[in-house]
Amino acid sequence: MTRASATKPAETRAASAQKHILLIDDEADIREMLGMFLTGNGYRVTAVASEIEAEKIAGIDRPHLVITDLQLEYSDGLEMVGRLKALLPETPMILLTGVLFDPKVVREVLIKVVSSYIDKTAPLSRILEEVRRLT
Amino acid sequence: MIRRVLVLFLVVITVFIAVAIASVRNINRAVAGSDWVNHTHSVILENEGLRSDLFIGDGAAHTFVVTGDTRDRRACIEALSNVDEHLELLAALTRTESAQKDQVARISVLVNRRTDLIRSVVAARQAGDTERVRTLLADDAGQPALKEIQRAIEKLKYDELELLTERDTASFLQAQMTRWTVWAGVTLDLLLLLGAGWLIRDDIAARRRAAAVLLETNERLEAMVLERTSELAAANVKLTDENLERRWSNQGLEHQLRYNNLIINSINDLVLVLTRARNISRVNPAVVRLTGKEPHELVHTPFSTIARPHYDGEPPMLDPISQAMNEGRDLRGQRAVVIDKLGREIPVIMALFPLRDSDKVVGGVAILQVVPSSGRPQS
Repeated sequence: MTRASATKPAETRAASAQKHILLIDDEADIREMLGMFLTGNGYRVTAVASEIEAEKIAGIDRPHLVITDLQLEYSDGLEMVGRLKALLPETPMILLTGVLFDPKVVREVLIKVVSSYIDKTAPLSRILEEVRRLT
Repeated sequence: MIRRVLVLFLVVITVFIAVAIASVRNINRAVAGSDWVNHTHSVILENEGLRSDLFIGDGAAHTFVVTGDTRDRRACIEALSNVDEHLELLAALTRTESAQKDQVARISVLVNRRTDLIRSVVAARQAGDTERVRTLLADDAGQPALKEIQRAIEKLKYDELELLTERDTASFLQAQMTRWTVWAGVTLDLLLLLGAGWLIRDDIAARRRAAAVLLETNERLEAMVLERTSELAAANVKLTDENLERRWSNQGLEHQLRYNNLIINSINDLVLVLTRARNISRVNPAVVRLTGKEPHELVHTPFSTIARPHYDGEPPMLDPISQAMNEGRDLRGQRAVVIDKLGREIPVIMALFPLRDSDKVVGGVAILQVVPSSGRPQS
């Protein structure tokens, strides 16, 4: 589990007013870059690598938004989204994946499961737009 | 500026010292003048005392001649004694003043002569020598000597009073001079101090102006530094964002490339990418497995070295692969054979899809599916 946000007491107090984002990706580079970017844009980010860690965080510090990869090391992203939705029914979720889907598939399948789908080749500014829209 | 103020203060101090010296000297002169006035008054008093006692003695002698009373004689002797004393004092008082000294000497001669006469008359009367008394008094008829003495004493007194007037005038002038010196010095010092004050005020004003300018410059500089710092911070944030965006973009592309390679490499059919000249530019692992040739042996070699169309009868006039590439259309279900490293021919079903870039055919992708011995493609 990686806390991308700072952990100093003063900053933690300030961060309490920030929106909390739970980021799930098994690639450390993705967690680091996206965590740094979202933290720099005023969000409090908790970045984890697995579903078990994600569920633990969701239980103790409810996120305002979940961003998850599709293909995780030990689980399927869409299945995990289903389980997380049971825990966090009101929380919007973004599927961030390197698998390029046909737009029709996105429209007809993915959007029914997640709040938004973004492929990993999209620029960070596009991801920020979606994060702002959903939080 | 400081040097000018210091020079002014130096001049003030110099003037002050000069005034002080002049004042002290004038005071000393005034004290000396006062001593001299006292001395002159003493001379006049002694002179007057001399005249008075001489006349008293002279009168007492004449009375004694008439009465023969010893009291008159004693009065005469006492007066003459006083006359001697006055003469001595006069001589002492005027010993440093030549003119007065001469006058006193002359008076002494005249007075001594007179006192000798008086003493002689008194002695003759005491002795009962009436004739001698008559003679002496007859010689002194009209008392010319006494008149002369009186004139000499008057002259001395007049001279002393003249000197007193002169010195009084000089003393007054000196006092005036002292007053003027002090007032001039004080006025000059005040003017100089005012000048110094003006210079100091001017200097302070100039320093305040310089300090204000410095403060303003510092504030401007600080504002510029702040502005520049915020610009740099903003530029740094922008650079960091751009750098992050570039890293993100690179990882996205790498991820996509890796994922695509993974898909292509996991296909069991033979996939070959051809150039427009139908040379091989890329193969998947299935090609290596089937032909027994490594990628470096295949890349940049003509596609025809490992695969060619197969016909049961006469081959067509035009090569279907070249024709499809030239026309930019798909070629599907073409029977063909793959020639492996050992020269064996393996029957395959070939499909060719042109690769387009901006509506131009730049190459093609050939997919070869091995035909199983039953005559159907392997799954």
